[in-house]
Amino acid sequence: MRDAFGRRGGSSDPPGPRPALSTLAWLVARDANQTIGSGMASIELLRRTLERRGWLDDREHGVLNAVARFTPGTNVLAYLAALGWSYHGAAGAAVSVLGGSVPGSVMVTLLTAVAASIDRWRAVRVALTAATLVAGGLVLANAWSLVRPYVRGPRVRWTLASIALAAALDLAGATPVRVLLVLAIWGTLTPPRTAP
Amino acid sequence: MSLLLLYALLLKAYVTSFSGVGALPQIRQDLVVTYQAMTDEDLSRAVLFGRSSPGPVGLYIVSVGHAVGGVPGAFVGWLALVTPAFLAIPMLALVRRWLHLARMRTALDAVIVGSATLLVPSGILLMREAAVQLAAFVAAGL
Repeated sequence: MRDAFGRRGGSSDPPGPRPALSTLAWLVARDANQTIGSGMASIELLRRTLERRGWLDDREHGVLNAVARFTPGTNVLAYLAALGWSYHGAAGAAVSVLGGSVPGSVMVTLLTAVAASIDRWRAVRVALTAATLVAGGLVLANAWSLVRPYVRGPRVRWTLASIALAAALDLAGATPVRVLLVLAIWGTLTPPRTAP
Repeated sequence: MSLLLLYALLLKAYVTSFSGVGALPQIRQDLVVTYQAMTDEDLSRAVLFGRSSPGPVGLYIVSVGHAVGGVPGAFVGWLALVTPAFLAIPMLALVRRWLHLARMRTALDAVIVGSATLLVPSGILLMREAAVQLAAFVAAGL
């Protein structure tokens, strides 16, 4: 039986090659701190970097994303912890979370300490707004990268039904965790048919 | 307010929410209303700083910590921010352990598709807000 990615068994093990710990730390610190307004946009940048180098595939990205969604707190940091753990265990998780949180934390601390009124400078506001526009586009690109393997796979109708269910629950005002719990139940009730 | 209590309150708010901004109501209830350790203005400013810095939007909690306890408070805020992230590790191990089951795989597939669907409104909202603001800047001659 093959999954939506054409793999047998649905293993979620990360692809064989992996970045060195120092490389992982650098890439996370660089990509996770490039966007403003949405952490998921940062994840999209990191996904592109890691996939380009053959260290991550869509399947693993999807698994990490799903786990992060169910983890309390900031989804992006949960994603980074799981990603780092997949590559280098505790050390990988630690450097990924540090890389994804320390630079921004230092900046927030500095801003708060000097009580900078960033709204005062028009150019800064325009730049921040433009960065937010780009971040929105990256979030949509991340959504597409997650759903793409299913749309192109053998279960298109099931995928469309799942999307419709999630959208309906979201429009009805259900919290994200409730939406995903219902989707998980829906998934267990609609297993793929075994190939003859 | 002691740093330990600050950490406990921020961690409680984060662990009981599933997004950085989702913790905001609980933080306001504890630090603004109950303990009066900061004002609504401080909180609004913290959110603004969080949104104006690179990285997760949830970084505003660092600014909240700074407003309450200075630089040590900011460190405590950062600690409360990163602590729940490590819960993803046992969850990942659990998912991988059961992933050989067809029903588990399909459940995970459904969650992945669902989380992608939930990202769409967020992305559209970000782009719409930014586009409206940019249009206002252009109308005002930048």
